[in-house]
Amino acid sequence: MITYPRYLARQSEPQSLLIGLGNAGINIMDRLISQAGFPMESLAINTDQQSISNTLASKKISMGQMTTHGLGTGGDPEIGLDAAKESAGEIQRAIAGANIIFICAGLGGGTGSGAAPLLAEMAKQNGSLVIAVVTSPFSFEGRRRSQQAAASLRDITRFADAILHFENDRMSELIEPHAEVRETFAICDNLLFRSISSLNRIVTSTGPIPVSLPDMLTVLRHSDDSCLFGCGEANGENRGHHALESALRSPLLDRGRLLHDAGRLLVHISGPPSLSMEEVSEIMREISNNLSPSAMLNLGVSATHDHSSPLTVAIIGRCGTAKRTSVPPKVTPDLALLSQSQQTVPPASKPEQTEAPFFEIPVAHTAHPPEKAPAPKVQQPLLPLDPVTRGRFDKIEPTIVEGQDLDVPTFLRMKLKK
Amino acid sequence: MAREKIHVGLEIGTTKVCAVVAECRRDGEVRLLGVGESPSRGVRKGEIVDFQNASNCVHDALSDAEERSDHEIKSVWLAVTGSHIESSNHRRSVTIEGGGEITEKEIEDIASKDKEVSLPKDNDILHSILQQYYVDGREGVIDPIGIGGSKLEADYHIIHGVVNRIQSTIRCVRKIGIDVEDVVVNSVASAHTILDDQKKASGVVVIDIGGGVTDYIVYENGAVRQSGVIAIGGDHITNDLCIGLRIPITRAEKLKIEEGSAFLENLSGTEKITLKNDTGFSGKEIDRSMLNLIIHSRLHELFGILRNRIQEVVPIHLLGSGIILTGGCSLIKGVREVAESVFEVPVHFAHAQSITGPTSAFDNPQLSTCIGLVKYAHAVDADAPQESFLNRFISSITRKLHLI
Repeated sequence: MITYPRYLARQSEPQSLLIGLGNAGINIMDRLISQAGFPMESLAINTDQQSISNTLASKKISMGQMTTHGLGTGGDPEIGLDAAKESAGEIQRAIAGANIIFICAGLGGGTGSGAAPLLAEMAKQNGSLVIAVVTSPFSFEGRRRSQQAAASLRDITRFADAILHFENDRMSELIEPHAEVRETFAICDNLLFRSISSLNRIVTSTGPIPVSLPDMLTVLRHSDDSCLFGCGEANGENRGHHALESALRSPLLDRGRLLHDAGRLLVHISGPPSLSMEEVSEIMREISNNLSPSAMLNLGVSATHDHSSPLTVAIIGRCGTAKRTSVPPKVTPDLALLSQSQQTVPPASKPEQTEAPFFEIPVAHTAHPPEKAPAPKVQQPLLPLDPVTRGRFDKIEPTIVEGQDLDVPTFLRMKLKK
Repeated sequence: MAREKIHVGLEIGTTKVCAVVAECRRDGEVRLLGVGESPSRGVRKGEIVDFQNASNCVHDALSDAEERSDHEIKSVWLAVTGSHIESSNHRRSVTIEGGGEITEKEIEDIASKDKEVSLPKDNDILHSILQQYYVDGREGVIDPIGIGGSKLEADYHIIHGVVNRIQSTIRCVRKIGIDVEDVVVNSVASAHTILDDQKKASGVVVIDIGGGVTDYIVYENGAVRQSGVIAIGGDHITNDLCIGLRIPITRAEKLKIEEGSAFLENLSGTEKITLKNDTGFSGKEIDRSMLNLIIHSRLHELFGILRNRIQEVVPIHLLGSGIILTGGCSLIKGVREVAESVFEVPVHFAHAQSITGPTSAFDNPQLSTCIGLVKYAHAVDADAPQESFLNRFISSITRKLHLI
């Protein structure tokens, strides 16, 4: 039901472009670039002149020279949007020619929240496949920032083909409580890095079992759920098992427990030429042990020519539609908007974008478009509070053996009693 | 009474901290002098999560042991466990130089090849246990010294763990001013208590189901074939009961100890267990069938995981001495029957052997690791080169000469 631009199928060599927007986005992008051999063009966009001069990106745009004088937005998304409008022409020239655009941004601040929706729209008009990789702020950063992030995320949803949404709050589970601040952000960035590189691998790789683009887009279509993502790699003996185990350890999968709720799941396995069918089937067996029977599972397998490359397992999914009945009806309006916007409707959608974050009173929010109601200020309530019970083992490292969380009582997992 | 070499074994378990003081005589006998115990706090799944609390518990247990044994503890042998501990088998080889006769040099060379084993970055080797030698590909050589050949190979069983996590356990003991002589993995220590050479030779599995983790070790032909840790233990049963029967965790623990059973047969289905009311708990009636089912399913699953892991290395039915259960959880009624139905070989309970002393504590499966630590220490002592009387005399004279 979801269409994608034809030319993607025609062109043999997809041109990926990675855009880092705002400080957070540029940080993530720099991390990606500094990994040797990352095959992407990169573009840094920021309102803050200083940060942009230090980035590793091959192309840089310091947007909104007139609006901000190169001094940043001061956390105001409206200024961010104005700055993006001012430099729209420049951005359009920079993104022309790319047919897959990754937009990295940290939502909640000025530049990221303000400019990301417009950037996504321009990228869409450019005819590209738009994949947004965004983080929402820690809850301790304040209510205003999470509102700005939520509003911006809703707007991005209209234009982006796929959204990977990471909640910083959840990511902090990755980290020990006493970790240094710098370390914390480095680990978050690293998770994003791995997600983007595995997405890029999925899109660009050809292999014995390729993942079709529509498959991936369906999995990633809905942004109001945080996506489920886990990625792990391993070498050597028993690598399939180890790679899967480290993928499941991702906090965005709630250490494997959320797999059970996944309505759609995309599993991509890539490895060196020695990757065997047995390894693939073993990994899939372990994953399907954890899945609910109604889940849709898409599998992709690719093999590289590099003998030394590790076996990588990437799991991308979203929560089951059965639980979130509010999701499916939204698909059609989104699509309708999307096709409209490909002509010229920016004025229609823009006032909303600029106003929404500005009304701080939630009443004004709910009164606006009716579809906003099911998405309250933070997405947090959607993920935890699962029926899975771990009791006293809740806070400590889980025991995951053969893909099962053994801290959950056996009789519950075996459905002996409900 | 003059005492000979005294060793102290300390296990910081999930349910309790336990210290054993024992005298190791030169004739090989180990005599128990005292056992100190303290309920454990701040330990989950065999690893320390609350440093201060755990350290206090260690202090309590050690002072208890000191009091009972009338011995001042200065250093301990420490048992470690945790899900991070893993094992693997490796083969290594050396070429025999010179006249083709294997000498101690080759044996040392091959033993010192531990560094060549590739491990995960944060891990270090805890034990490197010899399985067997091969001379020119010939299997089953027990003592190769003096045998001629051109190539000596050896199989080693390597047990390794994450350094930082082991060190936090060591720090917990050092913090109260007690030295740690060495760390020993739980399963290796338990095996020292429970197994004799005959059992090791015929093949056996020791399964130590503790409070937080289950350690296991597999022997075949006298050598360790496999070992490992699964972070499942008695705590999980308690937690299952707490969730399944909707009772507080302390009541669940008590219920497990007093009434816990894994039998599914001969249940009428109507039998009830009454829990008395208590502060903050209004009393409750519980179906025995439900209680048994919860415990049974947990143990059945645990044994199933163990069976799969062991089968990867050795066929279980070839292990002549079957399975030996120990650890606190082996006290649950019916655990043996569950194990027998999963493994399909005879299952026994461990009885600590050849240790004498004033208490009957050594029959308690909860102590098998601690006693094993002492025995391990004793075995290490016995292996260490003994200084003869003459040597000691000479060295004392040379020291004195230096002083002048």
